[in-house]
Amino acid sequence: MDFTLNEDQVLLRETARAMFGNECPPELVRDAFYDVTSSGPEAASSFFDRHLRDWAALGDAAVVDLCLFMEEAGRVLAPGPAWVNTSLFLPLLRAIEHPSADLVAAGEVTGTVAVCGSDGYWVLNNDPMRSFVPHANEVDVVAILSAGNQVSCVAVAELDLQEVATLDRSRPVFQFAVPAGLDSTEIGAEQLAVVLNRGTVALAAELIGVGRWLMDTTLEYVRERVQFDRPVGSFQGLQWKLVDAALLLERADAAVYYAAMCLDAGAPEQDRAVHVAKAAAGIAARRWARDGLQSLGGIGFTWEHDLHLRLRRAQASEQLLGSASWHHDRLAELIFAPD
Amino acid sequence: MKLTWGAEEEAFRDELLAFLDAEVPEEIKGGRDWIGDESPEIPKWASEFQAKLFDHGWMVPSYPPELGGRNATPLQTLIFLEELASRGVSRSVHFGGYAIVGPSLLEFGNEQQKGMAPSAIRGDTVWCVGMSEPDAGSDLASLQTRAVPDGDSFIVTGQKVWTSYAMVAEKCFCYVRTDTSVAKHKGISVLIIDMDSPGLEVRPLRHLTGAIEFAEVFLNEVVVPKENLVGELNSGWRITMGSLAHERGALWVESVSSAQRALEGLVEIARRQGLEQDGVVRRKLAELYEEVHSLRALGYKGFASFAQGSSAPEHSFMKLATSELRQRIYAFGMELQGPYAAVVDPEFVEEGGRWQQSWQISLAGTIGGGTSEIQRNVVATRVLGLPRG
Ligand SMILES: Cc1cc2nc3c(=O)[nH]c(=O)nc-3n(C[C@H](O)[C@H](O)[C@H](O)COP(=O)(O)OP(=O)(O)OC[C@H]3O[C@@H](n4cnc5c(N)ncnc54)[C@H](O)[C@@H]3O)c2cc1C
Repeated sequence: MDFTLNEDQVLLRETARAMFGNECPPELVRDAFYDVTSSGPEAASSFFDRHLRDWAALGDAAVVDLCLFMEEAGRVLAPGPAWVNTSLFLPLLRAIEHPSADLVAAGEVTGTVAVCGSDGYWVLNNDPMRSFVPHANEVDVVAILSAGNQVSCVAVAELDLQEVATLDRSRPVFQFAVPAGLDSTEIGAEQLAVVLNRGTVALAAELIGVGRWLMDTTLEYVRERVQFDRPVGSFQGLQWKLVDAALLLERADAAVYYAAMCLDAGAPEQDRAVHVAKAAAGIAARRWARDGLQSLGGIGFTWEHDLHLRLRRAQASEQLLGSASWHHDRLAELIFAPD
Repeated sequence: MKLTWGAEEEAFRDELLAFLDAEVPEEIKGGRDWIGDESPEIPKWASEFQAKLFDHGWMVPSYPPELGGRNATPLQTLIFLEELASRGVSRSVHFGGYAIVGPSLLEFGNEQQKGMAPSAIRGDTVWCVGMSEPDAGSDLASLQTRAVPDGDSFIVTGQKVWTSYAMVAEKCFCYVRTDTSVAKHKGISVLIIDMDSPGLEVRPLRHLTGAIEFAEVFLNEVVVPKENLVGELNSGWRITMGSLAHERGALWVESVSSAQRALEGLVEIARRQGLEQDGVVRRKLAELYEEVHSLRALGYKGFASFAQGSSAPEHSFMKLATSELRQRIYAFGMELQGPYAAVVDPEFVEEGGRWQQSWQISLAGTIGGGTSEIQRNVVATRVLGLPRG
C-alpha cells in the first residue's frame, strides 16, 4: 500500500489550494450565509459559477483525486453545491447512464441527491417526504432515490422546497414532498453502494479539511497567546489535549485516503473502509471544534471568529450520510457477518 | 496512491510464509501475545528459532546475510514485520540484543566491537541494556553511575534498575557518566560490561505478572577495560538515539498488527459468549475496529514518507496510540467474560487466560521505552511545534 501522491495529484492539490486561497476569502462565506450583506449571496454563487463548475468532472475521476479537492474545499468552507453535485449526483447519473451526465461533468447542469425520508436516516425508503437534501436551492435537478433502488430525476422548479435550518447555514438542507407519478430507473445495488460510498468518503475528506483548519488555527493561537508570562501552548494540560486531538485527526486523514484507495481499487474491504473513514473524520472534526474552541478561550466563543463556522459544519456534516454511531453500527454488522 | 504491492514484494511474502509454515516452533504456532514464562531462562526452542531465523536471513531482513538478513528493502521489512505480528510470532524473547545492541555496535562500535554484532543478533550472546537507574528514568540524561578512568580501565560504580534479562545476560550495554563537569547529556558514555565481572551483582525483580524478566544491577568498583568503550568518550547520548534506525519506519506495524490480531480475538469471544447481538458490545467493537484500522492507515502513510527519505511525523504517534489501544483491547477481552474477567485459572477462562495475561503485560507498554506522558510531550513539541513547558 502506497500513500505517495503522484505528480498529478500533487499538482491537483496545489492548484485547488491556490484557487481557494486566492478566490475564497473568509468573508465570502460570512457575507453569504452569516452576516448576510446585499451582495454576499450573489458573490458566493458567482464564486461557484466562476470556479467550481470547472471541477465538476472530478466526479468521474479517481476517488483519491476527488478527496484531495474536497479536503481543500472543506478547509475554506467553499460555498455552493460542489460536494453533492460532484461526489454524488454525477456518479449517480453515470451509474444509470443518464443522458445529462456529460452536461453535469461539463459544469452546465448541476444537481443534488435526495435519500432520507422524514426520519432523517440515509436509507432508501418510500416515505412521502424527502429530507436533508443538501443545496437543493442552488442546483437545477434533484435525483430522488426510493426503495427498490429507484432513481427519479426532477427539475428543482417542480418541487416545493422547504428549508430545514441547521447549525450550518453554509450548507442549507431542504425537505419536500415527493411528487406523484414520477418516472424512475432502477440502479443496481452494487452500483448504488459505490455511489453512496464515493459521496461519503468525499464528505469525510471535507471534514478532514475542516479539522485541518481548526487544528492549524488553534496551534497558531496557542503558540502566540501569552498568559502567566508564557505561551499558553507551553502548558502541559493544553498540550496533551491537543496531542490526543491531533492523533484523532491524523488517523482519520489516513483512513479517508485509505478508503478512497479501496474504492478506486474496488477492494473487497471497501464498505468497511468507508464506515471507518466517515466515523473517524466526524469524530476528529468535532473534537477539534470543541478543543479548538476551548483552547482559544473567549475569542473562540465569539461570532467574529471564524471558528464557529467550522464548528457548525462539523456538527451538521456529522449527520449527513450517517453519523459516527450509525457507521459503527453498520461496521458491526460487517464484523459479525459470516464470512 | 495505490493499494497493492508489487510482484517482487509478493514473492518475498510467499517465501517468508513458506519459511514460517515450516519453521515456527510448536510452542508459538497458534500465536501468542507475549512470550517468556515465569522463569527468566530463555527456552531452548526460542534460541533455536532465533538462530534459525538468522541463518536463513530472516532475523533482521534488511541486513546482509552475515548479519542475519537478506538485504531486504524497507517495504519488504514492513511486510516481514506485519506477517510475523499478525501470526503472533516473535523473533526473540530478548529484544535488547538484536534490536538495540547489535545495531548500535554496527553504527558506533570499533572493528572489534562490530564483530560482536552477529552473535548479539543471532542470540548466541545474550545482552541486557543498562539505561534506567533509580533516579534516572524518563530523565535518562541524569544518570549517575560513574565510570572513572584508571590506567587502561574504567572503574564503574552505581546502580541500574529495570534491566531486562540481566539475570541471563552475558554482557551489558551500559550507560555511564564519564564527565560530571558538563551539561548532563554531554557527559555520558557507553561501556560493554561483562556480567560476570567481580563487583557486579544482579538482584532479580518480579514483574507485577509474577514473571522474572528484569532486575536491579549493582556495580561496585567494577573494572572495565578501556577498549570496551563504544564510540567516542562522552558521546553516549547520541547512541541512545541511534538504535533500531534500520527498522524505524516499519516498527509500528508490529504493534498495530498485534492489536488487530487481538481485535479479531475479541470478535470470537463475543460470539462464544453469546454477546453477538449486544448493542453495547457491537458498538464498542466497531469503535476499536475503527481505531485499529485507521492507525494502520496512518502507519502506512508515514511509511510512504519514510521510504522516500523524508521524516515521518505520523510515526511519533504510533507507540503512544498502540500501547494505550492494546491495553483497552485486552481489558475489553476480560470484560466480555463477565464475572470471569478477573479469573486467571486457565481451566475456567477463555483461551487459557490469554486475555488476563496479555492485559497485565500490556500495562508495561505505556511505561517501557518512554512513557506515554513523555511521548505526548515529544509529539507536542516536535510534531505540533508547541513551546516547551
Ligand atoms: C517491562 C519493563 C522493562 C524495562 N526494561 C528496561 C531495560 O531493559 N533497560 C532499561 O534501562 N530500562 C528498562 N525499563 C525502564 C523504563 O525505560 C523506565 O521505566 C521508563 O523510562 C520510565 O522511567 P521511571 O520508571 O523511572 O519513571 P519516572 O520517569 O520516574 O516517571 C514516573 C511518572 O512521571 C511521569 N513523568 C516523568 N517525567 C515527566 C514529564 N516531563 N512530564 C510529564 N510526566 C512525566 C512519567 O510518565 C511517569 O508516569 C523497563 C521498564 C519496564 C516497565
